Amino acid sequence: MGISVRGLVKSYSAVNVIHSISFDVADGEFVTLLGPSGCGKTTTLRCIAGLDTPNAGTIAINGRVVSDPARKLFVAPHERDLGMVFQSYAIWPHLTVAQNVAFPLTVRGERDTRDAVAWALDVVGLTKLSDRRPSELSGGQQQRVALARAIAARPQLLLFDEPLSNLDARLRDRTRLEISRIQKELKVPALYVTHDQTEALSMSDRVIVMEAGHVVQEGTPEDLYHRPVNRFVADFIGSANFLDVRRGPSGWQLPDGTPILVDPASDTGDDSGSVALLRPEAIRLEPGVHGDLTAAGFNRLTGRVVGSMYLGPHAEYIVEVGGLQLRAFSRAALPRGSHATLVFTALDCRLVASGTPHSRSLAHAG
Amino acid sequence: MPGDRGKPEMSLAFPVRVPGRPAAARGWFGTGGVLRVGYVGVFAIVALLALIPVAALVLGSFRDSAPGMPDGSWTLSNWAGLASPGVIDTLTTTLIVAGLTTAFAMVFGTAMALVIHRTDFRWPGAMTGLLALSFYFPSFILAMAWIVIGSPGGLINNLLQDALGIEWFSVDIYSVSGIVFVMVLHQIPFVYLTMRGPIMGMDPSYEEASRSAGASPLAMLRRVTLPMLSYALASSALLCLVMALEQFGIPVLIGVPGRVTVLATQIYLLCRFPPTAYGLAAAVGLTLAFLTGLAIMLQRRLAKGGRSVVTTGKAGRITPIPLGAWRWPVNLLFGFYAIIALVLPSLILLYTSLIKFFTANPFDAAFTWRNYTYVWHSEDTQRAIVNTLIVSGGGALVGVLLGAACSYFTVRLKPTGWRVLDLMVMLPFGIPGIVLGLGLLWAYAYLPLPLYGTLTLIVLAYVTRFLPYATETAGARFVQLDRSLEEAAWTAGASKQMGVWRIVMPLSLPSLQSGYFLLFMAFFREISATILIFTAATSVLSVSIWSSFEQANWGLASALSILAMVMMVAVMSLLLWAMPGARTR
Ligand SMILES: Nc1ncnc2c1ncn2[C@@H]1O[C@H](COP(=O)(O)OP(=O)(O)OP(=O)(O)O)[C@@H](O)[C@H]1O
Ligand SMILES: [Mg+2]
Repeated sequence: MGISVRGLVKSYSAVNVIHSISFDVADGEFVTLLGPSGCGKTTTLRCIAGLDTPNAGTIAINGRVVSDPARKLFVAPHERDLGMVFQSYAIWPHLTVAQNVAFPLTVRGERDTRDAVAWALDVVGLTKLSDRRPSELSGGQQQRVALARAIAARPQLLLFDEPLSNLDARLRDRTRLEISRIQKELKVPALYVTHDQTEALSMSDRVIVMEAGHVVQEGTPEDLYHRPVNRFVADFIGSANFLDVRRGPSGWQLPDGTPILVDPASDTGDDSGSVALLRPEAIRLEPGVHGDLTAAGFNRLTGRVVGSMYLGPHAEYIVEVGGLQLRAFSRAALPRGSHATLVFTALDCRLVASGTPHSRSLAHAG
Repeated sequence: MPGDRGKPEMSLAFPVRVPGRPAAARGWFGTGGVLRVGYVGVFAIVALLALIPVAALVLGSFRDSAPGMPDGSWTLSNWAGLASPGVIDTLTTTLIVAGLTTAFAMVFGTAMALVIHRTDFRWPGAMTGLLALSFYFPSFILAMAWIVIGSPGGLINNLLQDALGIEWFSVDIYSVSGIVFVMVLHQIPFVYLTMRGPIMGMDPSYEEASRSAGASPLAMLRRVTLPMLSYALASSALLCLVMALEQFGIPVLIGVPGRVTVLATQIYLLCRFPPTAYGLAAAVGLTLAFLTGLAIMLQRRLAKGGRSVVTTGKAGRITPIPLGAWRWPVNLLFGFYAIIALVLPSLILLYTSLIKFFTANPFDAAFTWRNYTYVWHSEDTQRAIVNTLIVSGGGALVGVLLGAACSYFTVRLKPTGWRVLDLMVMLPFGIPGIVLGLGLLWAYAYLPLPLYGTLTLIVLAYVTRFLPYATETAGARFVQLDRSLEEAAWTAGASKQMGVWRIVMPLSLPSLQSGYFLLFMAFFREISATILIFTAATSVLSVSIWSSFEQANWGLASALSILAMVMMVAVMSLLLWAMPGARTR
């Protein structure tokens, strides 16, 4: 059940924009496609909705194959029983809010749409505005009409294409929660497209990171954050320090020879093109010098504060250590030029592949 | 099943999913390829509409007999006949008349547009209204009015000779200059309407820059404004030239008595007066269509290249150029135009319709209602009026629907072959009405379709001729409509045809209404495409007017003209009232 995509390929004229990607969305699961602009998220979503025709690969929705070019099989979008929220909302200006929401029901031939419309409007909290025209609504309200319309006929599948990108930050936070809540209540699979990592991490059961038409990694938000497969994913999700490390005679060391302990689980034995990922919040930053020892699974490095930025709850510092500049947080006031000690566990310092993710996933695909 | 839906106050507690609910409604719109069938249908209809008359003309130009005659044979003599002195003379006259008309109409029309939209002229709204009104004034009715005014026995000469005793000077409308004069009056509103958009959309900062650089208003006009408008001017001039080349009503009424023949009237004469030469007419018609088609092609190319040059879309408030000492001359000129193009012709027709015998002096005239009461008794006239309303009202609906369907395919869906469809829609636009009529005459004499002598044939002719009006207005709207509006309907469970019906159509209604209005007005006053294919049963008002005038019954022709114009204004107001969307035009 849910969605299953196998070897999806899409090209516009001669240019391939989706290079044979495969993934699943389980029943009731909320999955996000995350990636930089132009990586093919919208194209993938549109292929699933049936708005674009794939060149190869199969797409199945709840066990039914809806697209398979090899067998010349293509199910039109209106027969896929889905609800979709567009980035531009696409609320029909000639219909009232209630008529917009009732549309999916009336085209399915249902006579009495009142209860279902009232329910959908109630879910998004727009009951009072049901007789308004879309031109009389704010952006956030229009967005919620689009959401109500998508769920009104209780489709088998919900698709979202950056539905929050036109809202201001505060409204975005609130609507994000609302969408998760509604999806969980409806228990339908949902595929959500965004390039905003906060949205992806906070809403999803699983995140699929794409780059240039390839799937780079998929996993739970925790997986992606703590165990990114390469530098691209690590950089795209959260903020990151990358340490250029190489294997010395007695273990890993920084460019200037300072020894450093890394998560042994991440050490694949492949030395070429590795960097160590160290999240800024994993570093405990202390004023002064506390010795230079690495022991008991802890790294303890000394450096010099070269820059700082006050952020409210804490300050972000840039500390020069062994020829590298690292970002770290501290609630203590550290004057520029002063010495500081950075403490972090070996487990927080993971080796990741630095090679271009593109070539990596090409290797995957091949 | 509403019972499964739960109650609204239950809100999110919504346990039951209805399994296996049908994904889409069946029924007339169904899930099948209604749209595909529609495309094939539209493609076939447009192909038949556009290609049949052209093919028939080409075939006919190689025949030596009248259409439908069994004893004809193949010949090249028609094409050889093009080189005869008669045809070459006509071609020369045609080019002179069309060239002069275009030149004068461009100068006056552009000047008026500049004065109305760029200076502190006092009555821009009123003048725009007047020009729009005279745009709809039928050309052959204008010609009739000016014959009454300017013919040797007409108003001016009567006035000169009887009232003023001047013998050494007289005017004769039956001449090349007479034709050009009336055609210029008729074309000025068209030039104005095509130039007003570019002039209003011009980025004022260029003009302001030249003003601040010390240029006088006239120098600015010459060195900045007109050069910037050059694309728009050239495009408007080409369209104006096409209209002048294919103009039929004016040269047939004024030119035939004065023995001034242009290609459009020659086709008519060759078909109507013995010895008839339909084959030669076809060859002449193709020649004329070649000229107009060439101009249209050039114009389209220009319009494509020039669009970006002038209109930047940020038309700001521009400081109007003060008219100063020119104010009164300009006012007088505008007043004069309104009088000779609109007021005087209408009054003269009204006067002629109310008198028994023509006299220039109203105090000598014997007034009568008989021309109007004639309409009351004449079944033929009544049939013509009913036919006109059927053809314009119903035909325009057919035209708008077909045009909207074409644009939906060529602009939105772009299925295989949409470019061909686009081309075929535009093809008849370059074919003069009289030539189209001749093509249909040839075609339906041979084709085993019982169309000759039916109103359907007239509607077919009009729809073919004016289909681009509908495709352009509808297409412009379809381009604007955001794709996702339609896609949202599909993902919400609507089939493509249902999306068209419930989303695209309602959202395009204003444009469809405006297209209907344009077509209605064009159909109502059309005569050139009708004149060769009407029969007694399918006569329309424009033909009735024209034939009574040809039979020297000026009174009846004038009464019918007045009637036609009253009907036009009435219908125009009715349409504008009933269809707010048409007003934007
Ligand atoms: N109709 C089209 N014709 C040609 N190329 C297209 C078309 N639509 C998309 N593309 C290309 O396909 C690639 C993927 O586009 P897509 O819209 O899927 O990106 P996206 O990941 O959704 O980006 P964004 O975050 O900016 O929305 C882009 O490089 C784009 O230029
Ligand atoms: Mg996108």
